[in-house]
Formats: sequence, C-alpha cells, structure tokens
Amino acid sequence: MLNYFIRRLLYMVPILLGVMFITFALFNIFATPHEMALQNLGPKASQQAVDNWLHNRGYVDEQGRPYPLFINLEKDKAWYDSLFMRSMKRFATFDLGTSFATGEPVAQMIKRGAIPSLCITFPAFVVGLFMAIGASLLLVFVKDSPLDRWGTVLCVAGMSIPITVYVIFGQWITANVFNYFPAFGFNLEGFSTLRFIALPVTIMILSGLGGDVRMYRAIFLEEVRSDYIRTAQAKGASHARVLLVHMFKNGAIAVITLVVAALPFLIMGTLVVESFFGIPGLGNLMTTAIAQKDFGVIQADVWLGSLLYLFGLLLTDLCYAAADPRIRLQ
Amino acid sequence: MAAGLAGCDNNPHPRPLHQKRADGQPWVVGYRAIGEDPRSLDPQFSYDTLGNAIIGQLYESLLQYSPFKTNPYELEPCLADGMPRRIENADGSVDYEIRIKKGIYFHNDPCFPGGKGRELKSSDFVYTFQRIADPAVECPVLSTLQEFIRGLGEAYQEARKAGAFDYSKPTGALTVEDDYSFRLHLLKPYPQIQFWLAMAFTTPVPREAVEFYNGKNGREQFKFHPVGTGPYRLDEWARGRLIRLARHERYSATRFPEGGWPETVAATCQPLAGAALPLVDEVQFQVIREAIPAWLLFRQGYLDRSGVGKDVFNSVITAGQTLSEAFKKRGVQLFKDVGPGTFYSQLNMDDPLLGQNQKLRQALSTVYNQTKANEVFGNGIDIKAEQLLPPGVVGFEPDFKNPFRTENVEQARKLIAEAGYPDGINPQTGKPLEITLDVVAGNAESRQRAEFDQMQYEQLGVRIKINENTWSRFQETQLRGLFQMNSGSGWNADYPDPENFFFLFYSKNVPPQGSNYTRFHNEEFDQLFERMATLDNGPERLSVIQRMNAILVEQCPVILTFYPVSFTLSQPWAPRITDNAMLVTGKYTVIYPELREHKIREWNRTPLWPIALLVVGGVAVAVYAVRRARRSIL
Repeated sequence: MLNYFIRRLLYMVPILLGVMFITFALFNIFATPHEMALQNLGPKASQQAVDNWLHNRGYVDEQGRPYPLFINLEKDKAWYDSLFMRSMKRFATFDLGTSFATGEPVAQMIKRGAIPSLCITFPAFVVGLFMAIGASLLLVFVKDSPLDRWGTVLCVAGMSIPITVYVIFGQWITANVFNYFPAFGFNLEGFSTLRFIALPVTIMILSGLGGDVRMYRAIFLEEVRSDYIRTAQAKGASHARVLLVHMFKNGAIAVITLVVAALPFLIMGTLVVESFFGIPGLGNLMTTAIAQKDFGVIQADVWLGSLLYLFGLLLTDLCYAAADPRIRLQ
Repeated sequence: MAAGLAGCDNNPHPRPLHQKRADGQPWVVGYRAIGEDPRSLDPQFSYDTLGNAIIGQLYESLLQYSPFKTNPYELEPCLADGMPRRIENADGSVDYEIRIKKGIYFHNDPCFPGGKGRELKSSDFVYTFQRIADPAVECPVLSTLQEFIRGLGEAYQEARKAGAFDYSKPTGALTVEDDYSFRLHLLKPYPQIQFWLAMAFTTPVPREAVEFYNGKNGREQFKFHPVGTGPYRLDEWARGRLIRLARHERYSATRFPEGGWPETVAATCQPLAGAALPLVDEVQFQVIREAIPAWLLFRQGYLDRSGVGKDVFNSVITAGQTLSEAFKKRGVQLFKDVGPGTFYSQLNMDDPLLGQNQKLRQALSTVYNQTKANEVFGNGIDIKAEQLLPPGVVGFEPDFKNPFRTENVEQARKLIAEAGYPDGINPQTGKPLEITLDVVAGNAESRQRAEFDQMQYEQLGVRIKINENTWSRFQETQLRGLFQMNSGSGWNADYPDPENFFFLFYSKNVPPQGSNYTRFHNEEFDQLFERMATLDNGPERLSVIQRMNAILVEQCPVILTFYPVSFTLSQPWAPRITDNAMLVTGKYTVIYPELREHKIREWNRTPLWPIALLVVGGVAVAVYAVRRARRSIL
C-alpha cells in the first residue's frame, strides 16, 4: 500500500509540470506581457510606464530586453534561468506569488475566497448528495412505475439544461417575481448568510440532481438484480430492509468513490454561480482573474486546482481499496 | 430554502452604518453597482474609469470641473483657494502660484497620531509630485508630465539607477512658499496643466498613510487603504463584494453651488444652495460582474442608477429613444449622455498606397455609412462624428458638416476615380484595388462589424481583405505601423481640451513616443499644434483649432465614425442634477430615502401561493410513492 501511495505521488509530478507548462505557454501566446501591462495600466499608458511595469515584474531586464520564457540560451546563464522555471521554483515551495492586477499576495486572496466558496459548495454537495441518494432509492423503490418513468424523464431533462439557465431562471422567478431571496449578494454575518446562500445552493442542487439521481439509480438497480438481494427477499426480509440495508451497503461503495473524488473541488468554488450571485469565492476570483488577464492569480489557481484534482484521484483509489477488500493493489 | 424563506427579505445590501445623523436627520445611503473591484485606489497610479469612480469620492484635487458647465467644460477651485496664477519667467519657463484652502483635513485614520486626520499642507503636494516620479509607484502619465514639469524626468531616471526613490531630495517640480501656498514650475508654457490639476494623478496623499500602509506586519498596502481629503472615506472594502464609503466628518473644501444650475433641475437644487457636502452620508458600491443581476436589483429598487444593457434595451427604450411607458409609470428618469470621446478608423499614412493618395482616403471616408452602422450595431443611439473634437470640447462646432463624411456613394465614386482608381479598379493590374482592414475579432459582433465595414468600402469597387487580430496583436500593429487601415479605434478625453485630441496627429508622437498611430505628418499641423498647445482659450486659439480641424478633414488620416452615447436610468428618489461627464465626485448626489423605502415596499411583494403549491406537490408525490412502494416487487 505504501509503495503504491509513493508511486502515485511521483506520478503527480510530471502531470503537474505538464499542466503548468501548458497554462504558461497558452497564456503567453494569447496575452503577451505587453498586453498584461496595458490591461493593468490602462490602454493609454505610455511606453515608459509599460517598460517600467514589465521591469518591476521581471519580464524585462534593466536594458529592456525580454527575459527568456522557457529556456535561457544566453551565454553565462543557466538554461533554467527563465520565467517558467522561476515560477515553478516558487510553486514547488508553495509560494503562490502576487496578483498582477493588484499586487496582493495570491495566498491571501485564496484564503479570503475559500470560506465563501465553501459556504455554497459544501451545503450544496451534502444536501445534494442526500437528496440524490434519497431520490434514486425512491425511484428504485417504485421501479417500472409511472413515477419511475417520469422521474427518469425529469432527470434527463434536468441534466440537459445548462447551469446558466437555472441561474437566470432561478434569479428571475424566486428573487424577482416572488421576491423571496436577494437576487444577488453575500455576507458572512451568521444567520443572515442563509438568506444569500439559499438560492445559489438550491440552484446548484437542482442543476446537479438530474445527473446524480440517474447515476445512483443505475448503480442501485445493478445491485437490485444481484443474487444476494433475491436471497434476502426469499428469506422474508422486507422491501425497506432489502433496499436500505443490503443493497445500499453494497451500492454505497461506488457512491463513496465518486463522492471522495469530488470533495477536494469544493474549495475551488463554482465559476458561474459565484459570478452571477456575487459570492466572493474562488470561482469568482478565477473569472475576475481571467477577465483582467491576471496571470499571477490564474497560474496559482491552476496550480492549486491541479494539485486538488490529483489529490482527489489518489484519495479515491485509496478509499476504493479500503472499502472493498476484494480489490488488491498491484 | 426554508431557511431562506424564513428571512423573507430580498434586500441584498448590508445594514447602513447608522440610521440617523448626529443632527437627528435620516442617514442617507446611496446604492451603486460596479463591475469589478478596482485594481488600485492609489490616485497616482490608477488610470481606469472604475478606479477613478471610487478615487473621485475619496480624494480631491486642486481644481474640479464645474458641475453645471458642460458646453464647454470649465474648471473651478476645489482644494485650491482660487484659480492658479500663471507667472511667465524671462527664460521662457512658466510658474503657477497656487494657494490652498485652510482647514482641509485628511480622513481620520490610524496612520495619523491619535487617529485624527491632520490638515492639508503645501508639503503634501511636494510629496505627491515625488510619488509621480517614483518608478515603484508606476504612474502611467509620468512621460507626459515630465515633458512639462521641471525635475520629474530626472528624478525618475535617478531612482531607476539607484533602485529606489530618494524622498529626502526635492524634485524641483514645486517650491513651497508657506504651508498654504506653493509654486509649480513648468519647463515651458502649457495651459493644459490646469486640467491635470483636476485629475486624480495630482491629488494630494499623506506621506504618513503611504508609509504606514506598506503591506507589512499585517497592514494593507496603501492602494487598498486610501486616505485622502475627499468627501468620503473608505469604511469597508470586502473584495469581490462591496465597497462602502462613509462621509468625511470634517469635509469642508466645497459646498453646494449657490446658483448656476439649469432650469430643469432648479426645483431640486434651489433648496440645497450652499448646503454642506456630501449630500449622501454613505455610498455602497456592490461589485456585480454580470449584467442580469445588476438589472434585477435596479428593477427591485436596490440600485439608484443603471445603464441600459443590450438585453433589456427594447423593453426600456422606445423606437423614438424615449423611456417606455412601464418605466415612466415607475417614475424612472432617462438620461442620454454624450461622452467626451471620438471613435474612428485609422489609415496608415506610411502605407505606400493610402499614405500617398489623399483622394483615395477621402473616397473611403465619404462612402462609409455611419448612420446605418449606428442603426445596426448601436440601437441608433450613437452620434455620427463629423469632426475630431467631440461635443463639450472647445473648438467643437455643432453645425460643422464634413465634406468627406456625406455617406454619398456617388460622390465617393467620383473621388476614387480622381484618385486614379475608377470603379475601384487598379489600372495597372485591371483588378480591383485591394486594401487590408485590421480589426479586433473578439466575438461574433466584432466579426459582424468587420463584415459591415467591408461591405461599405466595397461599394467603391475595391476589395477589402479583413485581417482579424487579438486585441494584443491589434495593439502591436498600431505600435509598429503594421497595418494599412484599421477600425474600432477611438479616444476618450483625459481632459476636455483640443490638445488632448490633436496630439494624436502630432508628428513627434509617432510610436513609441506617443499615440500618433496613423503616422500623420503635416508641418503646418505640427506648427499649429505647438502654438495651440500654449495659447489660452480665446479667438486666436479658436481660429488655430479651426484650421487644424480643416487640415484633418482635408487629409483624412482617420475616418471619423461616432461620438459614444450612453443611456442612464435614475430611480425616482435619485434625481440627477448634473450631466457633467468629467465630474466623478458623488458629493452632489441627491437621494430621497423615504420615497425609496415606499417604492421598494411597493415593488417587492412576496406571494405565498408558490410555497403552498410546492408543499402540496411534495406531499402528493410522497403519498403516491408510499402507496406504490407497498405493491413493489424487486
């Protein structure tokens, strides 16, 4: 197990490097340092101001010559003395750097955005999970009935609608026509926070429910057809017991792996929902950074996202092995 | 959902700081929306509209734009005690003697001893001009100011060499005469300096605040913790969410004007004559990135002002460009503002074809139908530009008709024939003349615009090849002159003076020195520019401006397209008293809170039937499921 763990950790290194390389390359192709300078200084900024900005951020040297992006081919300089390798060195020590737009430390921005993100992603995840499991069990419970068929149709319809539609429709109907919730905004002042997160959380749950219910229903139906279920029924166990004890236990293994993989992403927030509801979380931070061409924040966010993704995969494998003794790691 | 319904309130704003003022009057709050957080609130650095919208409330300059004088715009003293006095020296240099008002205080802040803001002194301006020259501050207008203000360029170069700015060493830009007066030294006559003295770049900042808020020991950086003399102080900045400003308790620089307002707002202004400013006690700027939620909040009454987005344009504005009945009934007011800016397509004067052929440029200019472009892309609201200077700027002639912007295809065809290309055919090759048009292709609309432009010019028989660029690449083509013709360029005034527009065609401003992207070079124009830049407004300057305008019209280095127009909606409780586009301060904003409270109640009723429907539906499904489950066979 330990060997497997270490091997998986080592696999992460080239993947991380690859992700960072692609991000760095793409950003430097589509947004040149000169453009980033103009974005931050204003399009009317003089050449002198642009040169000064680039110099202060290490893009050009004292003479105004651009610094190499990936490999330094200059004599008397190490090949790795480049912008990319410098930033990788920083990230390896978990120094996330500063925002190009504001000069604020990115670690501070991420710390500030994590709580608002979790305020909506965590309840949406937990409540959504219970609702999806509950609804899928219900559909399995009434399988082949009109409720099951219509429920499935509803799930397919629900998962086909983009989240933006849920957001716009939800905002318009519940916040503007019925006036139940604030259409926008956020605060972290105890109970009143609920007023602001209720609608985005509900929308996140509803938008994800269709897909989740269908998936869990399929998992549970697979179990329902197993021999041990028939045996349990033959022994006279009630429907509820068969479903909630025998089937659920076995079906839950697949559910756990899916859930564990998703857990690390909760902290990264959601791009669309946060942006439309003004939740100052990490999703919002990323959309703002993209709009402002703030490469400092984008790079740090991608680094963090990649790390969490790989961490999630690792955790899934480990949980799967732990939950199902039949699985042996080679 | 249940928890949310328990709150049963759709007000998105945090509670105001107070309910009542010290004198028992209601505490008045203004609610505005901004698209994103400002990148910086450092007045010596910020050069974007958003940053300046906030900075304009927190800081004030020596001069300000007179709120009711917009045609042309006029300056008046703000922190200055009277207008600056110009002194011409024997060596050709010019000084401005400036007196500042007594009793102007910085905001209360922990950076001052005892937390009490101290009085503004001349030395604060010395420090401010040092900051402009400090490379670490990254002042984006240093290159312009160093051309005219003594010592700034040298101080910048020295600091670059030394690696840090030496604040103990004076720059020579200012000489302090006493605590309330100083002299600003210019290298040469430059009357436009007065406009710079109304801009945020020259607004005084206290040294204590810059040094205290250095981003160390848990303290914020100065750009996130502004301390100024403006009518508001920063109370809270919750990034990505809210900027809350509260009135500066000791603000005294200006009062509400005693007169001079237009008839249309006299009823609102009369009772306020001479009143202490600001009129609103607290301003909350909600950070709203998306247009839809911002519009929802405006409809609910939770924002005092709103623009009119494309998505809602037809439901708000009628074909006659008036407010729709539904919004009139709500008491909403519509304002149409012409921004002090001009848009145009640029022709590269270094291009062997376009640069050498004046008639060809005139033909291209004549054929372009901006009236149609406005209808197709701008809901018909923008104003067709006939001259470079936009309305409100000295030298703008309302009745001027540009002979090469007639949109007359026949006239344009005659011109292209005179240019040597009858029906757009190159006689040497027998094929249509080919011209490359560079555009920024960021989205579907920009591509449609490019195709529209292509169709317009091809009426001459020429062939237009569209070259799509990213914004970055487009900038580069302008900087390096790698284009034949481009579209979508424009200039918004830094200050409403013709110099700020004509400098775009001054030959010494060809990149990298400046923004003369057309590479226009005309000796007479250059001489007139140099003369115009140093003249005070008057008949002589006006005649120079008219001649410069005539040269540009005749030479056609640009195809003038439009002056941007925007619509603003104002709630019934927030009447707008000035349409001065150069004035960024909100100290003259009027709000009637009782009316707002009443309207919000009226517009935000909560029906209970949807909840009942939801509960009944849920129960019905549950009952059905239980009954069905009893018959279930696995």
